[in-house]
Amino acid sequence: MSTDELFNGEPVITFQRETDRRAFLRWAGLIGMGTALVTGGALNGMGDAGAAAPASTGGDLGILNYALTLEYLEFNFYAMGLSKGLLKGRDLELVTPIRGHEQAHVQAVMAAVTALKGTPVSKPTLKFPPKTFSSADNFLATATIFEETGVSAYQGQVTHIKSPAVLKAAATIAGVESRHAAILAHLTHGNPFPSPVEKNAPMSSVLAKVKPYLG
Amino acid sequence: MSQHRDLVHGELDDVSERVALDALNNRWALAAPSDFTSDVDVLNFALTLEYLEATFYEQGNARNLLTGQAKQYLTQVQKDEETHVQAITQTIQKLGGTPVAKPMVNFDGAFASKTMYLTTSFTFENEGVGAYLGAAGYIKNKNVLQAAAGIFGVEARHAAIVANLLNKPGENGVYMGAFETPKTKAQVLAAVKPFLVSQMTTMPGGNGSPNTGGGSTAGTQDSGLLTAGSAALLGGAGLAAYLATHRSTDADTAD
Repeated sequence: MSTDELFNGEPVITFQRETDRRAFLRWAGLIGMGTALVTGGALNGMGDAGAAAPASTGGDLGILNYALTLEYLEFNFYAMGLSKGLLKGRDLELVTPIRGHEQAHVQAVMAAVTALKGTPVSKPTLKFPPKTFSSADNFLATATIFEETGVSAYQGQVTHIKSPAVLKAAATIAGVESRHAAILAHLTHGNPFPSPVEKNAPMSSVLAKVKPYLG
Repeated sequence: MSQHRDLVHGELDDVSERVALDALNNRWALAAPSDFTSDVDVLNFALTLEYLEATFYEQGNARNLLTGQAKQYLTQVQKDEETHVQAITQTIQKLGGTPVAKPMVNFDGAFASKTMYLTTSFTFENEGVGAYLGAAGYIKNKNVLQAAAGIFGVEARHAAIVANLLNKPGENGVYMGAFETPKTKAQVLAAVKPFLVSQMTTMPGGNGSPNTGGGSTAGTQDSGLLTAGSAALLGGAGLAAYLATHRSTDADTAD
């Protein structure tokens, strides 16, 4: 399912808040990303096209593409789940913004990869077990797994990221994933605060967890 | 990257990687260059905030303003903050630094009602999130960075859950957008200043083990963090000791 199908050709990036949109544009604009996908976008271009040699970015590109895969997974998961109309009331109010966040993360991480002269990975083919969206409980149960996995995935790369810019960008996302994880835990009667310090997981264990969802 | 031209609309080619990265860095360069001069410096700033939070919950939870799930959640939050105080104190000591003293605090009014309590908590937690994010760029030791990132995430969890207890809207309440926003030290200090009576200037001379119990506000020294500004957050001799063993290229502003 493409984002076009999901959004009927509407601009695929919309923000709940004007400050979100501006924050994203600031980021996207600074690293040279276009605005056509952003609702109401107005962007000051980077006029200064320096010719400096690319700096070494080490494994940051690999980490960013790893994050991009996870964000694709999350965004499409929420897009599909929310389209089923399973949630109501406060649950719906708390989960709906998450979809927008994950979408913004996809675009932001993609922009970061491009800024580093890398090639963003393509959206993975996703497959969700049939029961994933069969009830609100199942949807939220899977969501809480994804969020906790996402938190540990970002935390697990903290010491591996070399570029301070990439690190800070990743951190701004990681904190939001922590909020998601706490709220999903609350909604599923789990523990929103499973540890006084976030756990971290290496790429291998995270990929093993999400592999069943990658086609 | 050409296959993604539909997303970047060719603009990328106008921006070199170095310019792009510099600009990306500028995007986050919110903290003043002189905000922190070492990891210990950052950690002592964090320790002050964690002391503030831990004491706040110790006192607030003792008032029995909350019941049910709210009570349960904030009891956990208190334990988390106490753990953060201990962990940061130990980390500073491991780095050869001197932990700042526990600040004296005054939460008058914050415990007037359940709503006031939770509203103040909401402020503290979100300030904590912004503070860690704003200071992260100054941390050089990877292990310290990992710990700070882990604490940062938990503060974000607290912020979200407390917002939900207040029945705040999903967006701009429980969540503060798709990206967390860093805050400068000055911004954070301005927000928490009303609750800080003082910070003792005398550094713990002994083992520096934190007193996280009891919610004491005892103490009369009215100097330090507030009157002396950010200088009080500097680790003094501990900082020098740290630099002696953890020399890094851009930490030479401290002497």
